[in-house]
Amino acid sequence: MADTELLRVENLKLHFRTTQGIVQAVDGVDFNLTYNRAVVIVGESGCGKTSLAKAILRLLPRNVAEYSGHIYLDGTDIMEYDEEEFRQNVRWIKMSLVPQAAMNALNPVIRVGDQVAEPAMIHLNARPEEAMAMARKMFQNVGVPADFLVRYPFELSGGMRQRSAIAMALVTSPILIILDEPTSALDLLTQANIMNVLKRIKHEFETSYILITHDIATSSELADDVAVMYAGQIVEVGDTPRFFPNPLHPYSRKLMNSVPRLHGDTEPEFILGQPPSLINPPTGCRFAARCPSRFEKCDEEPPTFNIEGRRVKCWLYA
Amino acid sequence: MSEASVPLDTQAAAETKRKATVSTLSRILRYTVVRLIVLFLTVVVAVYLTILIANMGGYVDTIQRGQIQEAVNMALATNPAFKQLSAAEKQAQMAAQISIQEKRLGLDKPFVVRSFLYLRNALTLDLGRALQMASDSGSKQVKNIILERLPATLVLFGTADVFLFIFAILIALSLSRKYGSFFDKLFITLAPTSSAPGWFYGIFLILIFAALLHWLPFGGLVDAPPPDSKLMYALSLMKHMILPVIAITLSQIFLSAFTWRTFFLIYSSEDYVDMAKAKGLTSRNIERSYILRPTLPTIITSFALLVIAMWTGAPIFETVFLWPGLGRALFTAVGLYDTPVIVGSTVIFAYLLVITVFLLDIAYALVDPRVKIGGGESRPQ
Amino acid sequence: MKALRNTFKELVRYPSAIIGLAIIALLLVLSVYAVVSIPYSKAIVLWRGGEGVWYEYPKYAAPSWINFFRREKLPDSFKQSSKDGTAQKTVIPGEKMTSTVITYTFDYQADEYPSDIAIYFTDVYTTKQPFVSMSWLTPDGRKIDIGSFAVDTKQTYYLAQDTKLQRKLAGLAPQDGLFVADPKAGLTPPVKGTYQLVIDGYTFDKGSTIDAEMVLYGKVSGCCGTDHLRRDLRVALLWGTPVALAFGLLAAIGTTAITMVIAAFGVWYGGWVDGLIQRITEVNLVLPFLPILIMVGTFYSRSIWVILGVVILLSIFGAGIKTYRAVFLQVRESPYVEAARAYGAGSLRIVFSYLVPRIIPLIIPQLVTLIPTFVFLEAGLAVLGLGDPTLPTWGKIINDAQQNGALYQGLYYWVLEPAALLMLAGLAFALLGFSLDRIFNPRLRGM
Repeated sequence: MADTELLRVENLKLHFRTTQGIVQAVDGVDFNLTYNRAVVIVGESGCGKTSLAKAILRLLPRNVAEYSGHIYLDGTDIMEYDEEEFRQNVRWIKMSLVPQAAMNALNPVIRVGDQVAEPAMIHLNARPEEAMAMARKMFQNVGVPADFLVRYPFELSGGMRQRSAIAMALVTSPILIILDEPTSALDLLTQANIMNVLKRIKHEFETSYILITHDIATSSELADDVAVMYAGQIVEVGDTPRFFPNPLHPYSRKLMNSVPRLHGDTEPEFILGQPPSLINPPTGCRFAARCPSRFEKCDEEPPTFNIEGRRVKCWLYA
Repeated sequence: MSEASVPLDTQAAAETKRKATVSTLSRILRYTVVRLIVLFLTVVVAVYLTILIANMGGYVDTIQRGQIQEAVNMALATNPAFKQLSAAEKQAQMAAQISIQEKRLGLDKPFVVRSFLYLRNALTLDLGRALQMASDSGSKQVKNIILERLPATLVLFGTADVFLFIFAILIALSLSRKYGSFFDKLFITLAPTSSAPGWFYGIFLILIFAALLHWLPFGGLVDAPPPDSKLMYALSLMKHMILPVIAITLSQIFLSAFTWRTFFLIYSSEDYVDMAKAKGLTSRNIERSYILRPTLPTIITSFALLVIAMWTGAPIFETVFLWPGLGRALFTAVGLYDTPVIVGSTVIFAYLLVITVFLLDIAYALVDPRVKIGGGESRPQ
Repeated sequence: MKALRNTFKELVRYPSAIIGLAIIALLLVLSVYAVVSIPYSKAIVLWRGGEGVWYEYPKYAAPSWINFFRREKLPDSFKQSSKDGTAQKTVIPGEKMTSTVITYTFDYQADEYPSDIAIYFTDVYTTKQPFVSMSWLTPDGRKIDIGSFAVDTKQTYYLAQDTKLQRKLAGLAPQDGLFVADPKAGLTPPVKGTYQLVIDGYTFDKGSTIDAEMVLYGKVSGCCGTDHLRRDLRVALLWGTPVALAFGLLAAIGTTAITMVIAAFGVWYGGWVDGLIQRITEVNLVLPFLPILIMVGTFYSRSIWVILGVVILLSIFGAGIKTYRAVFLQVRESPYVEAARAYGAGSLRIVFSYLVPRIIPLIIPQLVTLIPTFVFLEAGLAVLGLGDPTLPTWGKIINDAQQNGALYQGLYYWVLEPAALLMLAGLAFALLGFSLDRIFNPRLRGM
């Protein structure tokens, strides 16, 4: 088990200080990921998905109140690294990022090619021409014409920018790529194209993905595992073949029912109520207030239960 | 598929690099040409407006008439035949000559026509003759008087601008790094002091360093009499420049550093800065390429407005420091009611502003690839 | 109204805003006091000065409060007159002539010499001029003859200008020499005690009289000091306040309001209107602002109202137009403007009821921050000698001081007083403006 484990996150916490109080954006998250698999993290907006990605990548804003837990990547606890060790050994070497909106993720005044080649120069000590050649190769891999290397981000379409961002994430061949809503800003056709690119890359480069999205439908074709996030916590983790037909957590069920389906006669439902505020979240189960199956036990914080290799944080499975 | 299986095409990469350079150059070149044309038209309009304002009371006409009168006098005085004539005949002859000349220069034409003649004169720097003032070399041509003063103004404000820009950027960067520190708070607190202009600080500086402490001169360009050797002249010039340069810097540094620091902070919360960090760039690299570079266009815009305000403030500033530049020439001309010099200096100021705008436009184009050429030629897809 | 109160509540959380508001309040009180205590017409007469207005004030006198900081006290001015009984006057009628003795007795305790002593004679005679001879009695009992001369109906005698007396006092200036223990020993500190100046006057006509007023000019005067024309700087310092505030406020409000409306129209009509406005802005940027103002001031008028008008005219197409345009472009796309257009609101109505009000909270900080610029501009023009010819202003004091080499001569109060007020006014609005900016501009919040 241990030798196939790529990433294990234990009790990861990331809290922010704001004028209103402490925001518990990531509050005790556990999950793991084996080599060459993709886990999709789903949840509503504001549930802490993006903060989870930032916590794993150690991209912390100024107002961090608490940042703790363990992240074992390829066998070492990268939380133990200091900033410089983390930069040299983890960033873009072990894991890279494809950001949410690639327009803002690319420096507007530097040519795309230079931005893609940059990590290779820093981490692989490549000479500028070598790095540029690697960037060119990656552009071919993701389907961007090599001419675009000399263009500036504003001269690229949304789809091309996103592909460039993927090329950038691949240039140093990391073992883990975190994709933060990689297709949400794009039209459907482009979304499908990008998803195909990602699938092909996963196959060819044997990389692993953490895919963060609220778009369950699109992610289903790429994902091997699903983690459902709610109010800063992961409430359910399971493999796709079993999760999609039969989600365990009441929230997961609700979430799956809210997805419109092409085939079938069920109307999409919506989840009543608002997710709890991450400042002073409720004690006990955080979904209790909106849960149709709520009972007395729910006032206590549920532990994680293991149901045949699937893990769920709900008293129904006690 | 591993790294080695596809050979790296460094040749193509070098080609890419060359293409990048060529595209940058051609972009800047095209932009320069377009801006040059636009700004030329702008300066034509600006100078024309200046002439209209000046001539609302017929002052440009007066300049022209004065010049004709003097030219005719000179011509006739050297003419031996003229000396033989009686006073009345002399008068008549002079009047006739003057009216011929006025006709030749178009003074009999309606103002609309005349105004364009004046515009042409102003654009070709044919600024007429001064009534009272003279250049140090004795010339009464307004052009010569102004050209003699211009270097002093350029040296002073050029130095001050460069000082201010470098200091403000360095301070702003260091403040944005130490966001919330004591110095950061100090600069926030002191930023409102920049509402006072340079000349105002100048008065205080003169009071302290010249009047009370006698460390530095009250004003002027160099010691009197001017030192003979070039080195001593330069040293004397530098000594005289200390207070004015400090006055300009002092009056603007707090606000500029504060504003630019805020730009840096706003820009450093952009997603691409996080990306750069995720990519494992060193913080020095991030600061240089991902914070400073993208912020530079905004800073240049803010600096351009500052420089323009400084140019136009030159008459007051140079008066306080007795600096024999263009601004003080204007002030002296006001005192002597020397209209040709007043109009001429104003025109030259318009040129200075246009050149400043042009240079800063080019700087802007160099740091921001997104500049549009002539309104719609950029090609976002 | 509620929004206003909320803004105010938030504002008082910023110490700099409180300081700014306090100074503005102080300046407003000062303005009201100025206008009430010295009415406009009187202020102008006082500032014009001339014959008889300021004769009892010394030239170049520092404010009296500087004596608090000095060990050697400077003398203040005072006057004594034979007319109002402050000086002793004895008339002894005689056959051919009448003798009049006027005695000025005063206690001198200052550690420095006065700047001058003047005697203003007013005589009445028909045929023959009265004759006077004056003498000086020191506390240590010496008697110095000052001089004798015939006087006209109105005549002024300045001791400091009497070169004969100066020779008598071993070359010391009379206003110094009369106060030292021994003129031959040079300038020693003045002898303190009771001095007397005695005028022995002789009149020859029937009904002829002599009256004389002595003014001893000190080296300090009033709360603010005086200038080269003996004018009390208090007048200009006080009156400069409403002038500066009015100029700054009117210019800032005029500029901002017009700019805003122009930007709104440009955005609303778009097309060539917008294009034209942007071209004008570009041209305006290279128009030499101050030189044109100087031209207007030299050629046409220095009236503060004309200058105000030109300043506004040259400023409306300034950098602000770009900022406002960007905001209006956003507002134009907002749903409620869409709705207004849908129910058929006219363009004017949309511009004034929908676009303009939306931007007002945004421009208030800008407006307040603009005020100091104009206050200093007005002062700067005055420093160039282009101030309003009649109004007493701060800038004109600085201009006078510069022209008379105040800094060379160590007359620092002359520059520092108006400068301090200018700084105070500029800083107050800047402090307030900065705080407002932080409240209204969410991007700056917490930065």
